Amino acid sequence: MNVLEYLKNNLVYLDGGMGTLLQKRGLRPGELPERWNLLHPEVIVEIQKNYYDAGSNIVCTNTFGANTLKFEEEELDKLIKAAIENAKKARDLSSGLQEKFVALDIGPIGRLLKPYGDFDFEEAVAVYAKTVQIGVKYGVDLIFIETMNDSFDTKAALLAAKENCNLPVFVSNAYGEDGKLMTGATPAAMVAMLEGMHADAIGANCSLGPKQLKQVVEEYLEYASVPVLLKPNAGLPRSEEGKTVYDVYPDEFSDDLSDYVQKGVRIVGGCCGTTPDYIQATVEKTKDENPRETEKKNRTLISSYTHVVEFKDSPVLIGERINPTGKKRFKEALRNNDIDYILGEGLKQQEKGCHVLDVNVGLPEIDEAAMLAKVCYELQAIIDLPLQIDTTDVKAMELALRRYNGKAMINSVNGKEEVMREIFPLVKKYGGLVVCLTLDEDGIPETAEKRVEIAGKIISVAEEYGIERKDLIFDTLAMTVSADKNAALATLYALDTIRHELGCHTSLGVSNVSFGLPNREIITAAFFTCAMERGLSAAIMNPNSGEMMKSYYAFRALHGIDDNCTDYMEHIAEYACNVPEGTIAPVLKDTKKNLEFGSELQRAIVKGLKEQAANLTVEMLKNTEALEIVSGQIIPALDIVGKGFEEKTMFLPQLLMSAEASQCAFEQIKKKMKENSTESVSRGKFVIATVHGDIHDIGKNIVKLILENYGFDVVDLGKDVPPETVAEAVVREHVPLVGLSALMTTTVPAMEATIKLLRKEAPWAKVVVGGAVLTQEYADSIGADFYAKDAMATVRYAIKETENK
Amino acid sequence: MSENTIFLKRYDGSEKGFAINEKEVWRYSGYLGLPNADSELSKLFMQCVEELKGGFSYKVCYRRMAIGWENGMPVLPFASDSKGLAKCLKGSSEVILFAATIGLTIDRLIAKYQRLSATKALLMQAYGAERIECLCDVFCDEMQNRIQEENLRCTPRFSPGYGDLPLEKQIDFFQLLDCNRQIGISLNQSLLMSPSKSVTAIMGLTACPTGKAKHKCEMCNNITCAYRNDNR
Repeated sequence: MNVLEYLKNNLVYLDGGMGTLLQKRGLRPGELPERWNLLHPEVIVEIQKNYYDAGSNIVCTNTFGANTLKFEEEELDKLIKAAIENAKKARDLSSGLQEKFVALDIGPIGRLLKPYGDFDFEEAVAVYAKTVQIGVKYGVDLIFIETMNDSFDTKAALLAAKENCNLPVFVSNAYGEDGKLMTGATPAAMVAMLEGMHADAIGANCSLGPKQLKQVVEEYLEYASVPVLLKPNAGLPRSEEGKTVYDVYPDEFSDDLSDYVQKGVRIVGGCCGTTPDYIQATVEKTKDENPRETEKKNRTLISSYTHVVEFKDSPVLIGERINPTGKKRFKEALRNNDIDYILGEGLKQQEKGCHVLDVNVGLPEIDEAAMLAKVCYELQAIIDLPLQIDTTDVKAMELALRRYNGKAMINSVNGKEEVMREIFPLVKKYGGLVVCLTLDEDGIPETAEKRVEIAGKIISVAEEYGIERKDLIFDTLAMTVSADKNAALATLYALDTIRHELGCHTSLGVSNVSFGLPNREIITAAFFTCAMERGLSAAIMNPNSGEMMKSYYAFRALHGIDDNCTDYMEHIAEYACNVPEGTIAPVLKDTKKNLEFGSELQRAIVKGLKEQAANLTVEMLKNTEALEIVSGQIIPALDIVGKGFEEKTMFLPQLLMSAEASQCAFEQIKKKMKENSTESVSRGKFVIATVHGDIHDIGKNIVKLILENYGFDVVDLGKDVPPETVAEAVVREHVPLVGLSALMTTTVPAMEATIKLLRKEAPWAKVVVGGAVLTQEYADSIGADFYAKDAMATVRYAIKETENK
Repeated sequence: MSENTIFLKRYDGSEKGFAINEKEVWRYSGYLGLPNADSELSKLFMQCVEELKGGFSYKVCYRRMAIGWENGMPVLPFASDSKGLAKCLKGSSEVILFAATIGLTIDRLIAKYQRLSATKALLMQAYGAERIECLCDVFCDEMQNRIQEENLRCTPRFSPGYGDLPLEKQIDFFQLLDCNRQIGISLNQSLLMSPSKSVTAIMGLTACPTGKAKHKCEMCNNITCAYRNDNR
């Protein structure tokens, strides 16, 4: 019998701890337990037989760490083969009469994926894939992915399993005491992602005892539509008279598990510290229970690597600002690969209260697939909001979805047969909530009825792919009322019908409605309110629009969504009166203090007051030339700080604060210069990078900031940069200066290799090096031109070099 | 204590010894002394503290193991010819190996502020460095208190990368302590740890109950180190 069929009407019992039992049998510290499959098969078989005898339906092979990172492929093949044979032998020897299955056990590879670690997602998929392929070759009943403490790593493992076999896959995560994975995901976020990718059972194991996992288990039961599994530890180990004991005994453990079974957990077992006694006690106490049916929850969820956003009563705000359409500055950022600007747009929208960010980077002259994947990845490194991936390029969509950490929104499909056939297979594979536009081969229907009809067609095609209604969200397309007086009504009527009669969620790009009208915001916001009243679940909108935000907070307060009007009261002051753009906050004048400095602006920069520095610069620009402010105010102020730093009367944090303040001043100056199209003053280009293998870049970023302050045009290649990338950048623009940073002794060789390559490819370039482990001697030995002990030293050297030329 | 067991300690930060040592934070940031309480810098740091409230996940995993001695060098659970470590462990017949971390949240905030404010990123770094050292201190004090009844005392802690103990020993520490599974730390190709605010270390247990324990910096030969701390 297939394990999933058995699971339909029965509780399923897993096995208990393996590692702790092997330690008792003499596994030495640091010894790899997987080798025991060949060295001591009799021990493995005995332990596994004891589990089957105790009543386990599923016993996991002893392959927790069996992967190509730990073993050569040849050995790996032998170990997995032996592990499966051992488990099968145990199954055959057992006297238990229950249904018995063998699961291929897969634990985490132990390397953290980028961006917080250095391991690539696709490499991880490949490592897991190998283990799965070998396991499948030697025959198992299911795949058991367990103890995963990172959502992205979990996705890699599940993807590898799904791409390499048709077996059932169970996925179990390890939660900390805060009820989250080590990298931050909540159980609900894992449910959203794993169900989207069609895991067959999901749940939690390891790290904690059964009682501490209560919240985690309850959250799983609340959100999951597939069977929930639980495999806790026997509490924590402690030492008693030279023996290790775990602080939860079989009796208590099985009582707790029995409670969870009554609440709806369908698959139970034990992890570290548990033994066949724990399993037997659990089986005894629960064998007469009627297993609770796993209900479909029909919740519309998307997730980031930390949390879910649910589409329910409160409208979801989807920020639309990451999109080049009609935005000159954004297009420029895309062309120049200026990721910082794009991230800045993301951060601003998060601050304004968006729940989801739409990401569209389509521009004819760039490689959209690569750019989309990169922007999504960089956004996910610093912003924990779920993303809506917005592209018409199917290749770009697949790449972005594959590497998305969570369950994304997909923008979009429509009633065109061809589009659905392209996108739905991706949704099926990677999961996602799909925006469905109610248009088809004949364009956008004028009437609401026709749009609803298209929605019906999309629902039925989605069903063919096993995509449920809850994962479709319909956009009934806002059209401009200035062209057709009934346009808004058609949109609203279709929206209402789809929401209330077809039972699907709805979304609108609201601003189209006001196209061609004066004071657009007013119409847009009123339309937004009308749409929310008719059941709008989400809006793609500009969070900088005060009118929109007012409508949003007011609607929630009026609709019983905002308890005690808390959110309204907290946020509305910000929007209650419109402050015209460009209004300047008053500058504090303190003449006495200014005596030390040439001007208030100098003081603001020296003291690191960002806002003041910007405002004072704007003031000054009214009657002073931009370049005069740079040479007469900003540079002298920077010199005061730079000198103070060198003389140790000021310290690094102060140097940085001043640098940030002067950056704010510079931004105003650049703005003005652009208006007047004055040529910029650059001291020249400077390429900077943290070398290959090194992922610590704070030092590099500090140097970059100070260099920019002093007028260098810095090309920042980031961290973990291969020598070839550095050389290529330097050669491309014939850059005269290169800065390399390394934190660890282990990455200094990479620095040396980079210098060697630069000498060959770009002999004109001067190389300055710095970083925690470097010294003058070290710098000399690897052939650098200059060793900079800190950021100021780099600046002084760079100025000297450029002035020499 | 059973040699083969890896033990776990978790703290929520409310325990004794977890108070923030601001002076240390400023020292790590490169600031000598303390800035004025009402300065912009101090305000910025208070923002960091506020943002990280509840954001630390203090965890330690450890095991206690017997060691031998041969020709003046310790015979450890991993191969080592480090003279510095031998000196540190002198007189010990047992060791405690441990790994500690304060979690990944701070890495996320550092990454975010790298994009927004270099000063704040620096202060977050410094705060994280102070927190992980504080966690190690709390843990070591606790071990010291526990073994006092056995008339033992802990030597200062010694980490891979200190003196002549190569960073490559991280690999052994990770295997011996099962760090990834126990407390979620992983090691990358360059032997850096993630979360970045993590420490692995070894300390000896010696049978001389008298005499004040030396500070870790006193055991280190790098006397020009910017972070050397002789008067803690």
